Amino acid sequence: MILSALAFGLALFALTQRRLLWGVLGVGAHSLTLAGLYLALSAPDVALTEAAVGFGLVTLIYLLALRRTGKLVVAACPLYPLLYQEGERVAGLEWEILERFARWCHRDVEILWVSRQEIPRLLQTGEAHVGAGGFLPAPEDKALFSRPIVSTKLVCLKLNDGPLGAIAGEPGQELASITYEDAAELAHALVRGEIGGAVVDLLRQREWQLHRFISDVSDTTISEEKWFTFAVAPDEEELWKSLEEFLDMLEKTGVLEELRRRYLG
Amino acid sequence: MKGMAGLVVFGLAGLLGLGIAGIWPRPEFPNPDPIARDWDVENVVAAIVLGVRLWDTLFEVLVYALAMVGVRFFLGKMQWRGELPPLAETPLLRRSADLLFCPILVFALYVAVSGHIGPGGGFPAGIILGSGLLLLALAKGVERLSAELYEPRLEGLEYAAVSATLLLGAVVLIVGVRSSSAFVAGNLLIGLEVAIGAWVVLHRFVLARGEV
Repeated sequence: MILSALAFGLALFALTQRRLLWGVLGVGAHSLTLAGLYLALSAPDVALTEAAVGFGLVTLIYLLALRRTGKLVVAACPLYPLLYQEGERVAGLEWEILERFARWCHRDVEILWVSRQEIPRLLQTGEAHVGAGGFLPAPEDKALFSRPIVSTKLVCLKLNDGPLGAIAGEPGQELASITYEDAAELAHALVRGEIGGAVVDLLRQREWQLHRFISDVSDTTISEEKWFTFAVAPDEEELWKSLEEFLDMLEKTGVLEELRRRYLG
Repeated sequence: MKGMAGLVVFGLAGLLGLGIAGIWPRPEFPNPDPIARDWDVENVVAAIVLGVRLWDTLFEVLVYALAMVGVRFFLGKMQWRGELPPLAETPLLRRSADLLFCPILVFALYVAVSGHIGPGGGFPAGIILGSGLLLLALAKGVERLSAELYEPRLEGLEYAAVSATLLLGAVVLIVGVRSSSAFVAGNLLIGLEVAIGAWVVLHRFVLARGEV
């Protein structure tokens, strides 16, 4: 009786686990309990076979498959403290989160470096699972957004009275008359004087200042607080849920706060 | 439609409840001990599987071999050509798999050989050996293990085991030999066949998909 209840409980446990490894272990323990049940019902031959097949073979095959459950394709545009390349290596606050998340759900991260306006398209077609990097959600983006990761504001950097430029796809493009494919093009246009100013967010402004692209500009904050988030492909609701759960865990354990402090000061 | 489904489920649950309560059906089982004595073994299950119902077992063995041949035949042409990322080396797993493989092998042999005396037999023994091979594959990577196990020879061994099982079955069925040595030989052969079959099927799938 106790064994039956345990078997039922373990089956429920295996079904409800989000982490695949725990699910597999649950299935293995369930098989072992079933073997014990057969033994109690005086069928040792069946118990032996159940233990060998259910606990041994099936668990091992699942574990073997778990070693490569697949990839987590991240479409990202580089933004200095969040997600950027440092030589061969990828680094940044969001990278640390993504890396931990991938390890948590047994996937390998693969990053596609794309421009900002490519990210929603790749998420729509399913070519990427997660959008990250300098990803400020714009109202027209159709994706599942995670909780806010880093707060920022839109600022208008003005050199002279020329037209304003922005990065295509970002929320700032509504305020600008010319859009550019990525941040580097926008910066070059600004330096060459093709545009009189740029609408970007605080982190981009800081990146430019660090690289000394711009100096002597007047900046005005022009928006309410905005948030960098992860965007998850619309068909990947399960992935979104587990990402939320994972971020929740990071937040509760204080890891997220520590990462923010380390990368953003 | 939903009502019908509900009725069916309710009916099945009712039947199950009657069975558990012991009201209906009440099958009367014959005493199995004479069967075991008749076949000169102590384990009744072995006497049934390899004695009274030997035809069933022989055909099961054939079906298993046929499944292996089918997998080999249909997946033979589908070879994965993509590049495989290298597996991370895990020394702990590697060492423990090396240490565990020999005990597993011995235990599988024991289960096969003692199948006519106590619980065990060819099928669990084969599966235990197959699990041992899988453990090695998990530690070393399938490609490396398959380079060490020469598959054509393994398959030859498998076909030999199937033929020997059939031959043994014929001897037992036609000549009427009833001794425990026939049981030991049958269990060993079936164990060998099951283990090799499990490995070959897994290896074929990995070769064709390249995911592991």
